[in-house]
Amino acid sequence: MNLETYAENTWCKGCGNFGLLNSFKDAVSELVEEGALRAENMVISSGIGCHGKTVDYLNLNSFYSLHGRAISCVSGMKIANPNLTVVAFQGDGDAFGEGIAHVVFSAKRNIDATLLVHDNSVYGLTTGQFTPTSEKGFKGKSTPRGSIEEPMNPLALVLASGGTFVARGFVGKRKHLVGLFKKALLHKGFSFVNVLQPCVTFNNTYSRYRESTYILEDEGHDATDFQAAWGKARETERIPIGLLYQVERPTFNDLLLEGLVPAEPRAPPLSAISEIISER
Amino acid sequence: MVQDFLTVIVGGEAGHGVKKSGNVISILMNELGRYVFEMDDYQSLIRGGHNFSVVSSSTSPVYSHYMSADIIVCLDKRSVDIHKDRLKDGGTLVYNADTVTLDSGTGLPMKTWIKDIKGIPLMAGTIGVAAVSALCGVEFSFLERIFKANYPRGLEANVELARMVYERMKDDEGKFELATAETPPGHLLAGNEAIALGAAAAGLDVYIAYPMTPASTVLHYLAALSKKLGIAVVHPETEIAVVNMALGSAYAGARTAVGSSGGGFALMHEAFSLAGMSETPLMVILASRPGPSTGVPTYTGQGDLDFALNVGHGEFPRIVLSPSGTNQAFEKAAELLNLVWKFQVPGILLTEKHLGESWMTTIIDPESVKVTKPILYDGPLEQYGRYEKTDSGISPMLYPPAKGTVVKASSYEHDQKGITTEEAGKIEEMQEKRYRKEKAIVEEMRDLLTITTHGEGSTSLVTYGSTTLSALEAVKNVDDVKVVQVIYLRPFPDWALWEALSDSEVIVAELSVSGQFENLLRSEGFDVSAHIRQYDGRAFDPPELAARVREAIQ
Ligand code: SF4
Repeated sequence: MNLETYAENTWCKGCGNFGLLNSFKDAVSELVEEGALRAENMVISSGIGCHGKTVDYLNLNSFYSLHGRAISCVSGMKIANPNLTVVAFQGDGDAFGEGIAHVVFSAKRNIDATLLVHDNSVYGLTTGQFTPTSEKGFKGKSTPRGSIEEPMNPLALVLASGGTFVARGFVGKRKHLVGLFKKALLHKGFSFVNVLQPCVTFNNTYSRYRESTYILEDEGHDATDFQAAWGKARETERIPIGLLYQVERPTFNDLLLEGLVPAEPRAPPLSAISEIISER
Repeated sequence: MVQDFLTVIVGGEAGHGVKKSGNVISILMNELGRYVFEMDDYQSLIRGGHNFSVVSSSTSPVYSHYMSADIIVCLDKRSVDIHKDRLKDGGTLVYNADTVTLDSGTGLPMKTWIKDIKGIPLMAGTIGVAAVSALCGVEFSFLERIFKANYPRGLEANVELARMVYERMKDDEGKFELATAETPPGHLLAGNEAIALGAAAAGLDVYIAYPMTPASTVLHYLAALSKKLGIAVVHPETEIAVVNMALGSAYAGARTAVGSSGGGFALMHEAFSLAGMSETPLMVILASRPGPSTGVPTYTGQGDLDFALNVGHGEFPRIVLSPSGTNQAFEKAAELLNLVWKFQVPGILLTEKHLGESWMTTIIDPESVKVTKPILYDGPLEQYGRYEKTDSGISPMLYPPAKGTVVKASSYEHDQKGITTEEAGKIEEMQEKRYRKEKAIVEEMRDLLTITTHGEGSTSLVTYGSTTLSALEAVKNVDDVKVVQVIYLRPFPDWALWEALSDSEVIVAELSVSGQFENLLRSEGFDVSAHIRQYDGRAFDPPELAARVREAIQ
């Protein structure tokens, strides 16, 4: 299926965003072909930053949103029409800086949405400042003497917030990433994939990730075991990628709407209104 | 002697059931066939402090409350100190004889009685209702019926208390003989309820809000009625989430509204501009409080006018309107929801606590509300562009799922398909397209009620929002003055206002220290000969406003 648009791609050559974008395209194409997903039912949204351009590069329904807000934007879509499959792309600065509250609460409420984070531990489009996930000591334009803060742990954050699908991928392991995206898109509830995505211009971490990542699925990790997932989320020497945790829990939209589809045309409840008024 | 106009004040601590007592007195008056205006004055606290309710009623419409009263019921000592000077000649002061001793008035041992029947402090308010009822000569069986409908819990104890009150007040029973009518003139609604129902009548599908007084009751009301009305009601983590969710919801085709007060709406500022850029319909209920900052949450003021008119970065059309009473609030809330969908712009319903939280006799017909369908695309799907250029600036909408095409909305400057652009020509083209809608909105407004004129006179008292209510009461006692209310504030209906103000002197009344509304009128080219401002968090008291109008005319 054709997911291309006429938008000119302006990412740097070798940028990790390409791997993420292409993996997502593959995942969507495969799911559509398998009949598990309908492309017209999909809506994607992004925040602001290099990753934000993703919406221009995909021939899917989209809402180019604001810094940190893509997950709120798609949450609103899911409330309006629970038949949509909604996906938010966010950067790490976007998701864990400006938008952290929305990530935490989206996980807490288990809205049926997918959040894919382009985690490169640097602000690319604003030319290289440290982000919430930058290593301590990271020298960026706003921290020339090195970051004095500890990096944030996105997986632990989402696990602690009640996320029902928590995973990490690496753009250097494309096939694996496609598999994670497919699972995330099919998960009913809040799915979170933190994608290690090197920024070749400001924070090239390819070799580090190539050396230290390993695949959880290869090591018999039990993704239904919260304690095991919690342990994996906190590993730093070796970096686990794959599905850390997955459970089923009723979704926010199902519980809220109980079958209502607000976006579906219907006559306004005039007689109910008359009744409400006359009761007073 | 039969009396038509009557004002009752009930005062006490938070926890004495003051507001409930005011509500039940309002219901009683309504049942007696009288028009009611009830203002509840309360502080931002849960216990103690001082709360009071004022209920003014008459057999003809009452637009606002009066601060001098025929009957004042004081449930504690502080209420006596605060309100005793507000008693009109011939009025009656009812007080709690367990906490205060007075030379005049009617003392009732409220605490003792409540203790005797093993009641709760909240029942002091019930005693107040019964006292008012007895003074107005309401038959006990009639009161009992009102109690039955309004005190589902503790009904027996409340009726028992009422009986004690009637017994004790035998000599004063019927001191105020009220004019009545066969049937209630309308239903009692608070402004925020009328706004909520108006939006619902125009097809509101989703309401999203974070609590902030005085907008919170819209959230509470719709949450309680969500099943009945088929509206999804959500209270997310922050106002920022509220508005971004709302934009997603509207993009997906659900008619969506949000509500807040100034501080909360300030947090929505960024996404308000996103609504402008992405041309996503967004209805905002902005219930202002006297600010700045946290301000005075539970009181009334109009200091957010400039904020509402100018909120947002960059340039894009928006609609700002402000209703006065509940009837208009219902109608204009419905109208605004229709308009934001027709023009795909953000719109603000600007209001204040004086409308939002006051109860008024309301006469509305939900069946009169029509839903205007947005302009939907019906051309060949492969040609669809979310931001197609048109003469009116309005691009036909589609919502996902739309098989055969994609719907791309954007915060970034974009081309007609919704794909990012930074090309000079395309930027210009889109800015112009969006801006053309401003003209289209003005054209539409020419057929709408954009201002109202009440009465005749060579002087115009010009107001907006709920200050109009105080003005309508005030001019009942001033000759040769008409009230002109500006409903639409942006785009500004200058054509209608020129006509209404022709050959008259203009006095502006508003609840603002800097005179924002007056400045708006001046900037639109209108001469203002005098202004009356108040900024103490209170609505104008009609007689005081009348005196200031008379003074201004001289
Ligand atoms: S700056 Fe970094 S993240 Fe942005 S496009 Fe270039 S390589 Fe990619």
